[in-house]
Amino acid sequence: MLQHFDPNKDYGTPASLSEKLVTLEIDGVEISVPEGTSVMRAAALADINIPKLCATDNLEAFGSCRLCAVQIEGRRGTPASCTTPAEQGMKVSTQNEKLAKLRRNIMELYISDHPLDCLTCPANGDCELQDMAGAVGLREVRYGFDGANHLDAPKDTSNPYFTFDASKCIVCSRCVRACEEVQGTFALTIDGRGFDSKVAAGQNENFLDSECVSCGACVQACPTATLSENSLIQMGQPEHSISTTCAYCGVGCSFKAEMKGDQLVRMVPDKAGDANHGHSCVKGRFAFGYATHKDRIRTPMIRDAIDQPWKEVSWEEAIGFAANRLKSIQYEYGRESIGGITSSRCTNEETYLVQKLIRAAFGNNNTDTCARVCHSPTGYGLKQTLGESAGTQTFDSVMKSDCVLVIGANPTDAHPVFGSLMRRRLRQGASLIVADPREIDILKTPHLGDSVHLPLRPGTNVALINALAHVVITEGLEDTDFIAKRCEPEAYAKWRAFIAESRNAPEAVEDVTGVPAESIRQAARTFANAPNAAIYYGLGVTEHSQGSTMVMGIANLALATGNIGREGVGVNPLRGQNNVQGSCDMGSFPHELPGYQHVADPVVRNRFEKVWGVTLDDEPGLRIPNMFDAAIAGHFRGLYVQGEDIAQSDPNTQHVEAALRALDCLIVQDIFLNETAKFAHVLLPGSTFLEKNGTFTNAERRINRVRKVMPPLSGKEDWEVTVDLANALGYPMNYSHPSEIMDEIALLTPTFTGVNYEKLDKHGSLQWPCNDEFPIGSPIMHVESFPTLEGKGHFAVTEFVPTSERASRRFPLLLTTGRILSQYNVGAQTRRTENQVWHHEDKLEIHPHDAEERGINEGDWLGISSRAGQTVLRAHISKRMQPGVVYTTFHHPGSGANVITTDNSDWATNCPEYKVTAVQVEKVSQPSEWQKDFAANNQRQQKLLSEAGASSGE
Amino acid sequence: MHNEQERIISMINQIAENNISAGDESAVATIVAGHVKKFWPRRMKNMLKDYIEQGGPALHPAALQAGKQLFEESKA
Repeated sequence: MLQHFDPNKDYGTPASLSEKLVTLEIDGVEISVPEGTSVMRAAALADINIPKLCATDNLEAFGSCRLCAVQIEGRRGTPASCTTPAEQGMKVSTQNEKLAKLRRNIMELYISDHPLDCLTCPANGDCELQDMAGAVGLREVRYGFDGANHLDAPKDTSNPYFTFDASKCIVCSRCVRACEEVQGTFALTIDGRGFDSKVAAGQNENFLDSECVSCGACVQACPTATLSENSLIQMGQPEHSISTTCAYCGVGCSFKAEMKGDQLVRMVPDKAGDANHGHSCVKGRFAFGYATHKDRIRTPMIRDAIDQPWKEVSWEEAIGFAANRLKSIQYEYGRESIGGITSSRCTNEETYLVQKLIRAAFGNNNTDTCARVCHSPTGYGLKQTLGESAGTQTFDSVMKSDCVLVIGANPTDAHPVFGSLMRRRLRQGASLIVADPREIDILKTPHLGDSVHLPLRPGTNVALINALAHVVITEGLEDTDFIAKRCEPEAYAKWRAFIAESRNAPEAVEDVTGVPAESIRQAARTFANAPNAAIYYGLGVTEHSQGSTMVMGIANLALATGNIGREGVGVNPLRGQNNVQGSCDMGSFPHELPGYQHVADPVVRNRFEKVWGVTLDDEPGLRIPNMFDAAIAGHFRGLYVQGEDIAQSDPNTQHVEAALRALDCLIVQDIFLNETAKFAHVLLPGSTFLEKNGTFTNAERRINRVRKVMPPLSGKEDWEVTVDLANALGYPMNYSHPSEIMDEIALLTPTFTGVNYEKLDKHGSLQWPCNDEFPIGSPIMHVESFPTLEGKGHFAVTEFVPTSERASRRFPLLLTTGRILSQYNVGAQTRRTENQVWHHEDKLEIHPHDAEERGINEGDWLGISSRAGQTVLRAHISKRMQPGVVYTTFHHPGSGANVITTDNSDWATNCPEYKVTAVQVEKVSQPSEWQKDFAANNQRQQKLLSEAGASSGE
Repeated sequence: MHNEQERIISMINQIAENNISAGDESAVATIVAGHVKKFWPRRMKNMLKDYIEQGGPALHPAALQAGKQLFEESKA
């Protein structure tokens, strides 16, 4: 891999970014390094490795262990090389008799209070303390081991994933500093002084009860066995490792899967990863146990009807059964009577193949993807305004932002590794503006400077963004040079006239948004006056009936203030699932082929037809909600769903279930018997990200390699199953490796022409567009021009049309939904891990005022009714909500959060309006009717599964 | 719960309402027609056509005009 550093080496202190070089001599070796580099790092770059314990290169130098002492010509004493900056002409000695004696003395003191159980210690084979004892030549401990010591200090085993063994702690503070500098949580501290000093979590609590978010940064930083992964303690040191990409959120962290044979010992964040730079969160770092969970589906299964037991069959029989059913449906009901859904959890190559199967083998464009229910408005809105359906920046770009505007996103919970990076920038002094109905955790960032919370009412985003833009325009804060050079003048003039209308003023919308006008004015000024201002947004923007309008409103604000086309600025959609960007790029939507090329364009179609050897339909296909309606109407009868749980994740569950029951053939390919599979006729075992090769594309358009670290449990990687199904349908597909699929993608997708596996392996990752114009990819987009017809940015008029879903006397509260850190999406993976200790049920958060009015206490069972349905959850009373707004998560299927969400959707894309549902809440004593039916059906389907001899489910 | 026809009526009306600032009714209709042409499947376009042939009573005026415009185009 092309790297400017060796990711496997610890250089002791972080790199300096200075362009000015200084030259010094270390042990007679001359070396030039950027100004600000420590002597320790300079030496390491020359492969002179100074002993160290408290230093590591992802933390600022601390200078506490003194092991790295050196001598510098002309200076007195023995300064610590980690805290001493390299200077021009400096002459440094790292090894001599005096230093050797000093270091041995230091090590001797450490070892006099350390258990000498090296042979049975979990860190044996990977212990920096042991290595340093060897490096300094420690041969005896003159103090003996009988004095006061910490050898009986208790172990903290409260965290399910790691153990804190205080007896092995050398109080180097690396864990404390990692928690502060890398993670930004400040959960750890050094308590006490001198001999009594010790690492403490929270207010001297155990790790689980403290604010610790279990990101693993402390475990990673620990140089001894004090903080060790439980899996390492149980299994011992790994013998090989393979770099791959996390399959949880859209940050797309790089990890080293550390292995013993085909067993995964631990996932260690990869320092070479360009998205995460060696950081991780509790999900990617620890929650991989689902991959080997007993619930995994290992054998293909079929059944004639959904009330029948499953029958385990061979792959050939299952694929043959599925193909015959699809063919007979098409014979009887026509070409358009079947379709498929691609997965944002699967690889680019797999997603590409599924949409190809649908377009080429099914012969229609009835392909859609779960981005329909999350970021489809991003695709639409950014294409309309900036010309490309993607975020404009790298994650690292935030480190150059002076103002960060977060709208409808919760980065510390949903994109934790990026959340930590954002917090690092906020601690450095960037201003924070949060527009969210809830007081989210980024607002509680320790050492946060200037910040403002705009607690708007759910459903009023567009009114708010218009008001922000109104202030920019009417107070003369726009970037006139940028607008004149980079934007379409006519569209700008039209938008300007619209936005300047008094109905868009903060004072005029105050009653609608609930946000004081002065707060909006202040936020607009902060944003517009910042040299670099960036917008980060999530599903709180898209999942509304005006989701697309809001995305365009965001782009308008960025254009008007000239915050596009360089580092530190931009429009940044935070993608939910690992490959949402990729599944959209790969042509999953019914109206466009890979690379966002419209099916009606004959030139585009012709290129695909030549390579695919078929004639393609020139009309868009059905979107997911249209598929459901058509299924209920009886016109749509067969569906192939890869790695997606529409029965749990899509809105208005009872409508979805009715549609699924109406199908003649539902083929589900998944790693578990998910909620959708309970309505299926064919169940094809899926493979986890650990079991296959491919690529994921993260929220910064970064294409990262996914590498197989263990064989698929069922014998096939997901792409191989799609290939088999295509062949059984009579459409030939021949690939021997996903790299060949990527070569075909590159051939047909203008933004991917320069992408191949060889180049990905060489560069580690590539950000599209990657083509002749940008041979090694494009970290920042729209630097010179926009990919629009005239190369200019387009201002779109953003009329605020309130949702029809309004609070009323019958449904006086507004429900909004979201996620939490420890669970992921529908929870199919994380619910099958120890992450359950943090969130084993979804609760309804309600403001104390609303609770008091209804006589509700913490933990009460609450019936939540909407126009769509009713469900029951426990109450959690919280001031994070405003009065009138309630909140829940949707990680547990039995919660039925989507039984109450309605089928209202975005006007342009049909993205569901998950974020606004009018509800009533009252105390109840039993589960809802839907929940009773759900429990009964779950029990029935688990029995049908166990009767097939397969593994039993949850 | 929507049946298919209710869904297309509500979808096209929503497109019209959200583009109301585009200008007069025919400017809005042009945008709506373009949107439907670009994003709607054949089956929904045909259902819209049938509904318009019946007079399209529940359609927003700009949506009705958009539908008529679309089907004139497809005849041409």
